[in-house]
Amino acid sequence: MNKYVLQLFINGNSLTSMEAVEMLQAICKENLKGNCELEIVDIQVEPQRAEEAGILAIPTLVRKWPLPETRIIGALSVKTRVLTGLGIASDKS
Amino acid sequence: MNIKKILTGIPAFDHISDGGLPEGRTTLIAGTSGSAKTLFGAQYLAMGIALFDQPGVFVTFEEQVNDIRQNLRSFNWDIDKWEKEGKWVFLDGSPKDEESVTIGEYDLSAFRVRLEHAITKSKAKRVVIDSIGSVFSQFPEMHTIRRELFKVAMTLRRLQTTSIITAERTEEYGDISRFGVEEFLTDNVIILRNVLNKEKRRRTIEILKFRGSNHVKGEHPFTIIPGQAIVIIPLSAMELNQRSSTARVSSGVAKLDEMCGGGFYRDSIILVSGATGAGKTLLVANFINGIREKKGRCLLMAFEESREQLFRNARGWGQDFEQLEKDGLLKVVCIYPEVSSLEDHFVNIQEIVKDFKPDRIAIDSLSALTRTSTEKGFREFIIALTSFLKHEEITGMFTATTPLLTGGSSVTEGNISTITDTIILLRYVEVSGEMQRSITVLKMRGSRHDAAIRRFTIDSQGMNIGDPFVGVSGILTGNPVVIKQN
Repeated sequence: MNKYVLQLFINGNSLTSMEAVEMLQAICKENLKGNCELEIVDIQVEPQRAEEAGILAIPTLVRKWPLPETRIIGALSVKTRVLTGLGIASDKS
Repeated sequence: MNIKKILTGIPAFDHISDGGLPEGRTTLIAGTSGSAKTLFGAQYLAMGIALFDQPGVFVTFEEQVNDIRQNLRSFNWDIDKWEKEGKWVFLDGSPKDEESVTIGEYDLSAFRVRLEHAITKSKAKRVVIDSIGSVFSQFPEMHTIRRELFKVAMTLRRLQTTSIITAERTEEYGDISRFGVEEFLTDNVIILRNVLNKEKRRRTIEILKFRGSNHVKGEHPFTIIPGQAIVIIPLSAMELNQRSSTARVSSGVAKLDEMCGGGFYRDSIILVSGATGAGKTLLVANFINGIREKKGRCLLMAFEESREQLFRNARGWGQDFEQLEKDGLLKVVCIYPEVSSLEDHFVNIQEIVKDFKPDRIAIDSLSALTRTSTEKGFREFIIALTSFLKHEEITGMFTATTPLLTGGSSVTEGNISTITDTIILLRYVEVSGEMQRSITVLKMRGSRHDAAIRRFTIDSQGMNIGDPFVGVSGILTGNPVVIKQN
C-alpha cells in the first residue's frame, strides 16, 4: 500500500514543535485521509532516537515512505510548501 | 587573577599557553582552510585520553566520521579502541546526502540534547566542535544559528567541559572569523596560520587572547609530523635559566684553544664563517676529534657533503671517523636540506639529540639550511635551536659559507651572529701574489681572546696555526694592503 510513513522530531512543548504537530495532523486527516502513519518523537524523552537518526534541528520531519527518504526542517508553517515537500498532490478545494 | 588551566598534552602548547587551555571554558580556534584546525582539535582529545585518561566528545559538522577515523589512525592513535571503551565519542553532524528543505522556524535543540547526552554518558571533560563555518553552510539562517551557538556555548559552560570550537577565516591577517561569533566566544582565541611566503609554506600558532590569564605572545612556528601530529616550536623555548658554564672544552686544535683563552665554553655556540674551501669542515673535523680528550660524544649533522666524502676528507687530515663511530663516540647524519622544512629539521635534530645524548653537535653547514626557508623562519630556527642546545648543555659548532672568496659576510651570519657566543672567521688572504689562509677569533663572549689574525696551513695532520700577519691591513674586508714598516 502507498501509506505515508512519517516521523516528526519535536522538543517537548516548544512553540515550533506544537505548530508542526498541528500542521502534520491536519495534513494526515485532510489531505491523506488517514492514509498515513505518523510517529512523534520527543527528544527530551528519547534523546538517543535523535542520535540514531542524526537529527540536529527541531522540528524535523522525516518522510520514511515513500522513498527516497526526505527531511523537512522547521515549523511547517506554509501548508502548500509542506505538501510539495512531501510529494502530496494538494487539494484544490 | 589567573584562571586554572588543563594541560592539553600537545607538545610545547602547554608551554606557550602557560599551562594549557582555560578550564571549563570554550576556546575559539580560528584559521584558514588547511591550517590544521581539525587536527588541533582531534589531537587535543587524543592527548586527553592517552595522557590524562579524560574522555572527549568530537562533534563534526564537516568531515565524515569515517574520514576522521582514518586520519586519526595515520597518527597511530587507537581510535577504535577508544571508541569501544567509550572514551572517544563522535557526534555526527556532517552533511548527509538526503534531501532536506526548510519550511518555517526551527532551532538546534536536537543537537544540544544530543551533545548533552553524549557528554554526560561518556563523562567527557573535553569537547571539540568542528566547525562553525559548516554549521552555517548547513543552516543558512545566520541569525538563528548565531543564537543557537550561543546556547551551545552556555550548555558547554554548564557541563563544565573544556572545549574547542573551530572557525574558518578567509585571510591570514584580518578578522578573527567571518561569522561574528567572537562576541560570545571571545574570551579565548587561538589563531592557526598557514602562510605562503616566497614560495614556502610556514605554519604558525598564535594565542590571541586568554582572558584573565598569562600566555606567551606572538606567533610560534609549528609542524605536523607523522606519529606525533602537531609539534610546536617555542621560540622562547625553555626559560632563560641556562646556567652559564665556566668549564672549557677543547676545540681539537691546541693553538686555537690558546687563542680562545683556554678552549670553548662548554655550553657555548660557535659560528665558523668562511668561503668555500676555507677550512670550515676541517675545523669541524677537529672539533669532533676534540671529544677524544674527555671521551665525550659528538653529533655531526651534515647538510652539504655525503658520508663518504666526509670520512675521506677526515682521513686526509689524520682523523679516523670510522673508529670514532665504532666506539660510539660519533654519530654522523647526512641529510639534504630540501627533504623537509626547517621546522621538521629542528624536530628531527631534537629527537636525535635526545636519543644519542651528545656533548657536542656540529652543523655543517647552516647556510645550506637557508635554502629551505624564509629569512624569518631561519632566524626562528636558530633561536629555537640555540636555546635548545644551551638547555641541554651541548657545545655547538655551526658553519656559515660566505659568498665571496675573500672578505665578505653572508645572510646566515647577519641573522645569527648576535645569538652565537663565539665567532671564528676563516679567510683567504692575497699577499704578494700568493693566497694564504687566515684564522681569527672575532668574538668570544665572557672571555679574553687572541685578537690577532693568524696564518694557518693544512697538512696531513690537520690544521697548523702559525704567526699573525704583520704589516698587512684590510684582510677581513677582502682588500689586504701591505703597510710599509718604518
